Amino acid sequence: MDQVELTINGKKVKAPRTSSILKAALDNGIYIPKLCWDRRLTPYGGCRLCLVEMEGQRKLFASCSTPVKDGMEINTESDRIARARKSVLELLLVNHPLDCPICDKAGECELQDLAFKYGPSASRFKGERKQAPEVTTAPLLERNPNRCILCGKCVRICGEHQGVGAIDLIGRGYDTEVSPAFEESLDCEFCGQCVDVCPVGALGSKPFRFRSRAWYMEEKNTVCPYCGCGCTVTLGISEGKIIRSVGTDGVGLSKGDLCGRGRFGVDYVHSDKRLTKPLIRKDGKLQEATWEEATAYISENLKAVIDSSGPEAVGAIGSQRCTVEDNYMLQKFMREAVGTNNIDSLAALGYSKAQKGIKQAFGLDTLPIDYNSPLTSDSILVVESDITSTHPVWGLKLYAALRDFGATLTVIDPKLTKLSRHASEWLRNTPGTAVAVLNGMMRTILDEGIHDKDAESHPGFAELKSKLEEYTPEKVEGLTGIHPDRLKDAARKFAAAERPLACMTLGANENNKSTDTVLATANLLMLVGAGADALEIPAELTNTIGMFEAGIRPDAGPSHTPLEKPGLGLVEMFYGENSPVKAMFIMGENPVVSFPQAEVVEGTLKGLDLLVVQDLMLSDTAKLAHVVLPAASWGEKEGTVVGASGQPQKVIKCIEQTGESVPDWQIFRNLARFMQKDTGLGTLESLQQEIEGKVSFEFDSSKATPQFNPVDLTMAEETDKEYPLKMVTGNLMQHSGSLTTLSKGLESVVSDAIVQMNKADAKVLEIGDEGYIKVASRRGEITLKAKVTDEVPEGMLYVPSHFPHARVHLLTYPSANGAVSIVAVKVEKA
Amino acid sequence: MSKLIDRIIPDPVRCITGISAYEAEGGFRALKKAARAGPDFVIEEIVRAGLRGRGGAGFPTGRKWAAVAEDTATPKYIICNADEGEPGTFKDRLILEKNPFLLIEGMALAAFTVKAGVGYIYLRGEYPALFHLLEDVIAQCRKKGYIGPDFMGTGADLELYVHRGAGAYICGEETAMIESLEGKRGQPRSRPPYTVNYGYMGKPTLASNVETFANVPIILNIGAESYSKIGSPESPGPKLFSVSGDVVRPGVYELPMGVPLSEIIYEHCGGIKGGRALKAVIPGGVSTAVLRSDDLACRMDFTSKCEGSMGIIGSGAVIVFDEETCMVHTAYRIAKFFAHESCGKCTPCREGTDWIRAILLRMEQGLGVEDDIRLLREVCGNIAGNSFCALGDSAAISTIGFLDKFGDEFEAHIKGKTCPFGGPV
Repeated sequence: MDQVELTINGKKVKAPRTSSILKAALDNGIYIPKLCWDRRLTPYGGCRLCLVEMEGQRKLFASCSTPVKDGMEINTESDRIARARKSVLELLLVNHPLDCPICDKAGECELQDLAFKYGPSASRFKGERKQAPEVTTAPLLERNPNRCILCGKCVRICGEHQGVGAIDLIGRGYDTEVSPAFEESLDCEFCGQCVDVCPVGALGSKPFRFRSRAWYMEEKNTVCPYCGCGCTVTLGISEGKIIRSVGTDGVGLSKGDLCGRGRFGVDYVHSDKRLTKPLIRKDGKLQEATWEEATAYISENLKAVIDSSGPEAVGAIGSQRCTVEDNYMLQKFMREAVGTNNIDSLAALGYSKAQKGIKQAFGLDTLPIDYNSPLTSDSILVVESDITSTHPVWGLKLYAALRDFGATLTVIDPKLTKLSRHASEWLRNTPGTAVAVLNGMMRTILDEGIHDKDAESHPGFAELKSKLEEYTPEKVEGLTGIHPDRLKDAARKFAAAERPLACMTLGANENNKSTDTVLATANLLMLVGAGADALEIPAELTNTIGMFEAGIRPDAGPSHTPLEKPGLGLVEMFYGENSPVKAMFIMGENPVVSFPQAEVVEGTLKGLDLLVVQDLMLSDTAKLAHVVLPAASWGEKEGTVVGASGQPQKVIKCIEQTGESVPDWQIFRNLARFMQKDTGLGTLESLQQEIEGKVSFEFDSSKATPQFNPVDLTMAEETDKEYPLKMVTGNLMQHSGSLTTLSKGLESVVSDAIVQMNKADAKVLEIGDEGYIKVASRRGEITLKAKVTDEVPEGMLYVPSHFPHARVHLLTYPSANGAVSIVAVKVEKA
Repeated sequence: MSKLIDRIIPDPVRCITGISAYEAEGGFRALKKAARAGPDFVIEEIVRAGLRGRGGAGFPTGRKWAAVAEDTATPKYIICNADEGEPGTFKDRLILEKNPFLLIEGMALAAFTVKAGVGYIYLRGEYPALFHLLEDVIAQCRKKGYIGPDFMGTGADLELYVHRGAGAYICGEETAMIESLEGKRGQPRSRPPYTVNYGYMGKPTLASNVETFANVPIILNIGAESYSKIGSPESPGPKLFSVSGDVVRPGVYELPMGVPLSEIIYEHCGGIKGGRALKAVIPGGVSTAVLRSDDLACRMDFTSKCEGSMGIIGSGAVIVFDEETCMVHTAYRIAKFFAHESCGKCTPCREGTDWIRAILLRMEQGLGVEDDIRLLREVCGNIAGNSFCALGDSAAISTIGFLDKFGDEFEAHIKGKTCPFGGPV
C-alpha cells in the first residue's frame, strides 16, 4: 500500500496514505485521547480531544479527521494541547450528573479516565445538572441522557456499521439528544453494539445494571457459543457467574463486533431450568438418580439391545454446539465401544447438504469461508439467505463491502432482509426458486458468450449447456417472478466481475435451499471463471465444521476417512420405515423441537428401548428419555471449536459446572469405563493429543477439482388449491435455536414464533396484525400469532421454527436430497 | 447600455419575474456568449475578473470552478446556497425577489462550465414565497430552453430543483448544507475531502452563494477587464450590503467593493436615526467583530482589516447601533443566536456557546461577578480554533469583539449590579 512517512513526537513513523494522524499514532503505540473515534467508523471530529499540533501551523488539528502527509511533523502532547483538552473536559463535565457512584460504567469510563489524566478537578461553571429521566422502555437497552456526551458513536455504529439506523441525534446544540425517530421506544436488532461503543454510562445493558463494579469483575475471552462466525466474547465474571458479555476492540476473528445473541444470550448458562442431577425413568416418571445408577442403567440396557439386536440397533446424534472433544468421544464410543456407525447430527438436514454440494462441485470435503473475502470482492451474490440474521457479524462484512469498498451486492431473496434492503440489486424471487434464477443467469451468460472460456473444459459443461436450454428468461420469469431484463442485467454484471463471490447459508431450519441450490451456485461461479474460494457458505453453528472433522457422520470417520460399512443417517434413523435402531444417544440436541415432522420424530423416540439424552435442561426430547444426563455447558468446560472460518479456537472454562453436570466427553469416557471398554483417553490432554493425530483442521481449496453439476429446480412439495401458501422456516436475528430460548435477555426481545404474512394475503383472509391464525399443512396444524407485513411477498409465510411451544415442525418434513422442502400450507383465522 | 447588463439589482422597485422582460433587457446574453466561447473561456474570464465568493469567506471563484471542471468523476452537481440565515443578512433575498433570472443564468453558466447535469437551490425555509417564485422562474427557463436537456444547444443538460431548508443556520455552512440536501442531519463534514471533489452524494460539487452566481453573467457581459476595475483591486466587483439598525434609510445597497463603511452609513443610509450618535457597527454580519465609531474609515472588502479584528466584510450585513444601545445586551442576543444555532456536533461549540450565553445573560441581569470577563475570554479562547467549523469561531470572535471594544460597559454592569441602559432583559 502507498505509504507516507511522518514524524510524531520526534519519532519517524510510516502510515498508509489514507490513514488519519490519529490512526497512524495508535498503530505506532502513541496514545492520543479521543471520545468520538472508533476504528470501525468514519472519523467524526466532534469531541475535539484528539487535537494535536502540526509544525508550521498555528491552529490545532483534530488528528482523527486529518489525513497524514509526507514529512508532516506532529506533536501530541504540550502545555497548549493539554490546556485545550482540559477545557474540552471541563465543558463536558459542566452539566454531567457526576453520578459515578451509581453508574455501571465507573471504573471503565473513558470520560472518568480522561478527567483524571488531564484534570480539571472541578468545573468553574456552576451549571445545572441535567435531570432528564432515564429511558428504560426498550428491552435490554437503557439510555441515560444526562450522562451522554454526544460523541455520536452509538448513532454511527448503528447506522454506518450495522446498517440499521435505529437512532440518531435529535434536537440541536446543547439540547441535542440521542433518540429513536420521533422519540419513540427503541425498536431495533438489539445487537447492543451501541452499548459497547458508548464511552460513558449513557447507554447501558439492562441485564448488567447494578450487577457489579467494573473492578470487581474478572474478564475472560472465549468463543461465542452461537453461530459459525466464531466471534470472541469477553465475559465479565463475578461471584462465579457470567454477568456480562462484550466485544473487545481488535480481538479475535470478529475484532470486537458482536451480535445480540453473543452479547445478551449467554445468560442461558445460568438458566434455572438447568439440570443438576441425572434422571432415570422409574415407574414411567423421570426421577433423580446418582451418576453411578444412571451409568449402570445405561450400560445394562445398552448391552441388552446389543445382545438382542446387534450394535447396528444403536444410534447417536452429535451436536454442532458441543466441542470437537465431545463429538470425537461420542463417535469413538459408538464406533469402538458399541461398534456402530449410526452416527449423525441435525446438520444432515443443514450444512451437510452444503458439504454434499461442495464435494460434488469441487471434490472437497470441507470448504470454510474466507472471513474477509467480501472486502476484496467487487460483486457479491447472495442466494436466498438472510446472512445478517444467521451469521450477524460475518454478515457485516457483506455490508462493509458494499459501503466501503464499492462492491455490487445482488440479493436473490423473496424476503426483505437487511441485505436485500441495502442491496444494489434485489431480485425478489418466488420462495425457494433460487436454482431457477441461477440457471436463468447462466443461460444468459452462455447465450451472450460472456462466460469464462476455460470453464468449457470442466467436466459436465456440455450437460450444463443442454440443461440450460430450457431455462429461457421467459420460463425463469414464470418460475421465479423475475423480469427477464433484470435477470439478464444481473447475469451480465456478475459475469463482468473481476472477483465475484457467492454467499449463502444452509442451516437445518432453512427449508428454502438445498444441495441443488449449492450446485447451481457453484455452476454459476465456475461459468464466470471463479473457483471454490468464491463460494462462501458459512457453517451454521459454533462447531459445525469441528463436529464433522471429529467424525460425526454415518459414512465417514474423523477427517472424513471413508468407512467400509457406513451406518444409518439421521433420516433413516428417525424417519425410515422399519428403522433397526432401538437405542439412541442424543447429545445436546432436541429432535422433538428441532427436527422436521415432529410427530414422526416423537413416534420414533417413543418406540425406542433406550433413549439417553445429554443436555443442559429437560428438553421436550429429554422428557421422553429413559435416562437424562446433565451436561456441563459452554463456559463450564474447556475444548476446541471450529466454526465457519475453519479455524480451531479454544473455548475456556470460566465458571464452575452447574450441579453435578459433567462435560459430554466425560460422560462417554465414564460409560466406556463402566462397560469395561476403556478408550484409554482419561484426560482432556490425552483426548486432544489423539484428535491432533487424526484430525488436521487444515483445509486447502486449491485442491479443488471443479465439475459442473446441472440441476433443475425441484420442490419436494407443491402448493395446490387446498394448501396455497408457501411456508419458509428459518431463524431470527435474536434466536437461533433451543439455547436462545433459555436466555432471559433474548426472550425479552422476542419470545414467540410470530409468523410473517403479506398484507394482501392477510386481507383476503381477514387477518389483522397480531391476530392469531391457524396454519395447517398436509401433516398437521398449529396456531400462531401473525405479523402482517410487506417484508414477505404474497403467497409466502415466514416463521422461526425453534420456539418449543410453537411446534412449527408439526407442519414440516425432512428432505436430505436436492429438493427444496418448503411447506405448502393453508391459513385461517384462529 | 441596459442596467441589466452590469448590475445585480438593476431596479430597486421592479421585480423582473417574467422571462421576456429579462430577455428584452439583455438577459441570457452572457449564457449565449459562453455557449459560443466554451467552458475554458468562462473560467478564464472569472479568474481574470478576480471574483471572490460572496458568502463571506471570499474564496476565489475561478479556482473553485476550475477545480470542479477538472475533476473527472461523474455526475457532478451545482448547488446554490440560498440559506441566508445570519441576523442582519437579507441581500440574497433581494436578488431572488428582484432579479431571479440572473441567478438562473449564473447557474446555467456554471453547469455548462463544470459539466454538471443537476443543480439545487438550497433555499432558506423561511422564504416560502420565494420558493414558489423560483419554481415558476425555473419552469419558464426550462420552457424556453435556457436550462433542461441540451440547453441552448450546448450539448449540456441542466435540471434545477429548489430545496427548502428547515430552519437551521448551520445548513448555510457548505458541507452541512450538502448533508441536509442528502437527507441527513445538518452537520458540517470533515475536510478534506473538499466539496469540489467530494460534495453532494460524494461527487464533485460546485457550491456557491446566490450573489456569487449572480456576478458571473455580469463578468461575461462587461468583460473581465472592466469588471476587475470595479471596486478594490484584490476583491473587485459590485457588492450588495444589507444595512439594518439605527440608520435613517436601512436596506440593501449595491455598491462597489471597498466602499468605506462611513460612506455606506452616512451617505447612502442617511446617517443615524433621530440625530443620535453612532456607538457601534457590526460590519459583516454577526460573525464579524463589532467596530466603534472611530473605525468607520475602514474599507469594505475581503482584504481590509480594522485594528484588532479579523476580516470585516463577511456577508456584507451592516448592523448599526446608536448611543442608546446596551452592548452587553447586544453581545448577549448574538451569543444566544449562536448557542441556539450550534448544531451540537463538537464539544467546544455545543457546550461553549451555551456558556457564553449564560455568562452574558447573568451580566446583563446584574448578576455578573468580577471574574466573569476573564472567564468569558478564556472560554472564547478555547472555542476559537478548536471547534469543528466556523460557527464556534464566529461566536468567540463576536464575544471577544464586544469585550475588546466595549469592555467598560461590561465592567459597569458588574460593578453597578444592573444594566445602565435600563435592562435587564
